[in-house]
Amino acid sequence: MASPDHQQRIAALRDTIADIERKPALAEARALVENETTGFALPKGGLLQEVFTDERRHAGAALGFALAQARSLLNRQRPAVIYLQLLKDSQEVGLPYGPGLLSFGFDPGALVLVRAASMAELLWAVEEAVACRAVAAVVADIAGHQKILDFTASRRLSLRAASAGSSIFLLRYGTWREASAAHLRWRLTPMLSVRKRFDPLAPGAPRWRAQLEKGALFKQTEWLLGWSKNGFTTLDAGRRHANSVAAAPPFPLALPANMANRLPETA
Amino acid sequence: MLYERIKGGLRLAAIDAAAGQAGLSVGQNLADARAMVPGLTVREIDRQLLEAIFADFADWHSNASPLVAVMTDASAFGDLVLDITGVAHLFGGERAMLRMLLTRLRDLGYAVSGAIAPTIGGAWAVSHFARSQVVEPADLEAILDALPVHALRLTEQQIAGLVQMGLKTLGQLRLRPRKPLQARFGATLLLRLDQAYGIVEERMTPRLPVAERYAERRFVDPIGLMDDVLLTAHDLAIQLGIRLEAEGLGGQAFHLFLYCVDHRVMTFSVNSSRLTRDPEHITKLFSNRSERLEGEYNAGFGIDMIRLAVSSLGELDAVQLGAFATYDGTEDLDQLQDRISSRLGTMAVLRTQFVSSHIPERAARLVPAVAHVAAEQASARPELVRPLRLLPVPEPIAINAEVPDGLPASMIWRRVSYRLTKASGPERLGAEWWRTGQRLQLVPPEKPKKPEPGEKQEPPPYVPDLVLFNPDAGTRDYYMAEDAEGRRFWIYRQGLYSETSWYLHGFFA
Repeated sequence: MASPDHQQRIAALRDTIADIERKPALAEARALVENETTGFALPKGGLLQEVFTDERRHAGAALGFALAQARSLLNRQRPAVIYLQLLKDSQEVGLPYGPGLLSFGFDPGALVLVRAASMAELLWAVEEAVACRAVAAVVADIAGHQKILDFTASRRLSLRAASAGSSIFLLRYGTWREASAAHLRWRLTPMLSVRKRFDPLAPGAPRWRAQLEKGALFKQTEWLLGWSKNGFTTLDAGRRHANSVAAAPPFPLALPANMANRLPETA
Repeated sequence: MLYERIKGGLRLAAIDAAAGQAGLSVGQNLADARAMVPGLTVREIDRQLLEAIFADFADWHSNASPLVAVMTDASAFGDLVLDITGVAHLFGGERAMLRMLLTRLRDLGYAVSGAIAPTIGGAWAVSHFARSQVVEPADLEAILDALPVHALRLTEQQIAGLVQMGLKTLGQLRLRPRKPLQARFGATLLLRLDQAYGIVEERMTPRLPVAERYAERRFVDPIGLMDDVLLTAHDLAIQLGIRLEAEGLGGQAFHLFLYCVDHRVMTFSVNSSRLTRDPEHITKLFSNRSERLEGEYNAGFGIDMIRLAVSSLGELDAVQLGAFATYDGTEDLDQLQDRISSRLGTMAVLRTQFVSSHIPERAARLVPAVAHVAAEQASARPELVRPLRLLPVPEPIAINAEVPDGLPASMIWRRVSYRLTKASGPERLGAEWWRTGQRLQLVPPEKPKKPEPGEKQEPPPYVPDLVLFNPDAGTRDYYMAEDAEGRRFWIYRQGLYSETSWYLHGFFA
């Protein structure tokens, strides 16, 4: 039987090894969240995040969620966000649009678009970009199943991100999940928009349901998030919030019958 | 023996020495030539191939002088011009240089003649119609006066006309009054004459980018591997960097010339978005560029000289890293953009530039990030509601509305139907009539009058075919629509009234 001192040293060594092995994945990541409250706290940089949406037509919501997080990572030392897309996907999911970024609340001058011809080139560009110390976040739009993006590749990316301190967002579309070394995996669903004041028929500010499928960063795993130019708003689906935005009905009102009164002036 | 199809007839385009001795000449009918020399071997001329080969061949001569051009006045290939200003002493004088260049080519089995003269036209004339020699500026007139008029790079008609007039030599031609000559033969004759005698300066367009500074290395044994080339490029970049640093300069365009043993030159160029002389960065750009080779790298029998040249120079002062300087990341970002665009291509790295237009797809355009986005951008308008993603090409959709011209209620896009519960709009965007290219019809054209009996009918005056600008043509009504599951689309209706069609143009967050 080993002495207690001996046992203590072994336990300490085990902790160290565990720490080394899990370092980029969990041990550091936990410290990257600013405060562990019940609300949605923005994760700091240095994480590989996968943002899954069920279908490609949710591409707008996925990009919005990623850019909303990336915006909080921008600062004077890291003034740029790199967006990457395969050439053939442009018509499928669309390209980020400058005036739209502006009305979303993201500076279009901070976004650099990279259009790669093949997945290998895209992954190379992701690695190259995340290693640059002037880059706050890399958003890679990857439609469809990519054989080359396997566990090894995502492990590489997660280590790169952890060492460089800038985040990678992989926008993926589909209900399947593959093995990956991402620190966080979100499942994002667009929700009915906030009711617009004075015009109940018009879509308002976007809302998303974000479910955390992987990563033990938070105690909570599901949020109903709203977005305004000032940042995220957390809308707790369960209880009614004091926030007036949350007080909006979850479903739209029935269409009023007197629609014709809108027509002559506007149409 | 090469022949060419001119105006339906087969004529000789090029002959070799043996054929010349047999009495054949360029321009002769092929059938005549066959009759004169039975057993003639002929092939059809491929001018494009010859041009390409000769251009490669010309590039190879940049190891003698950096300014090399192919003269295309007389023929698209066959005439090579080198500007040897300030170069000849490296080869032991002009005479030795000419001898070296000519013997080098003769050893390769080419029939060449060459001349060094103060003017390009003079050198052409002497090299074609006299023995190979170096013409001193003082002797130029005397030598040229004795040459035939063919030595002026003129067209066949011009030469035929001059011969008909009895003007055989340039000396005779030069003494004639100029005005009648110009009236009869056009301005080119006098221009060529003046160029040959140096009265009018003639310029050449060098084939390769003019390098202001370069470093080069020659190899005793030719090398062939790309890795070796890149290692050499790194060494050269260090040499070049030291020289540029001493002069306080930096460059934006870097060119790597690989001189092959078989007289070809391969050129690779990379661009940097800001002035640099950092050898590591330059080497990185070249190694990224080498990942993207598509058959243009072919070492063949090996490379015996590598030259790294820099152009687009600018002043770049040495920068001292200050302890209190704030880091703003722009330099790192520029280098990152250089690296990515050197591998993926310049058009792969883009930034948004705003254009003052209200047509959505024209309001923002993507420009290469390497070309610095101009400071005078059109101001963006953040108050407009615009989608986060825009489809490069709008996709046609089918829309149903509850009442005609009402808000859209359902949509079919990519064969899936959506129930739209919320919508706002329309936002009407008219066509930019000043861009349509159509002319406004300001004055309606006159109708042709009926001719009175006895009067000859006059042709109607010319009236350009004016098209009325149709204000309905390009009008779009944009709606922001949300479906029952919370997807938000940007759709528009093209046209007004009856002939309308619907398109999906973008997605909101």
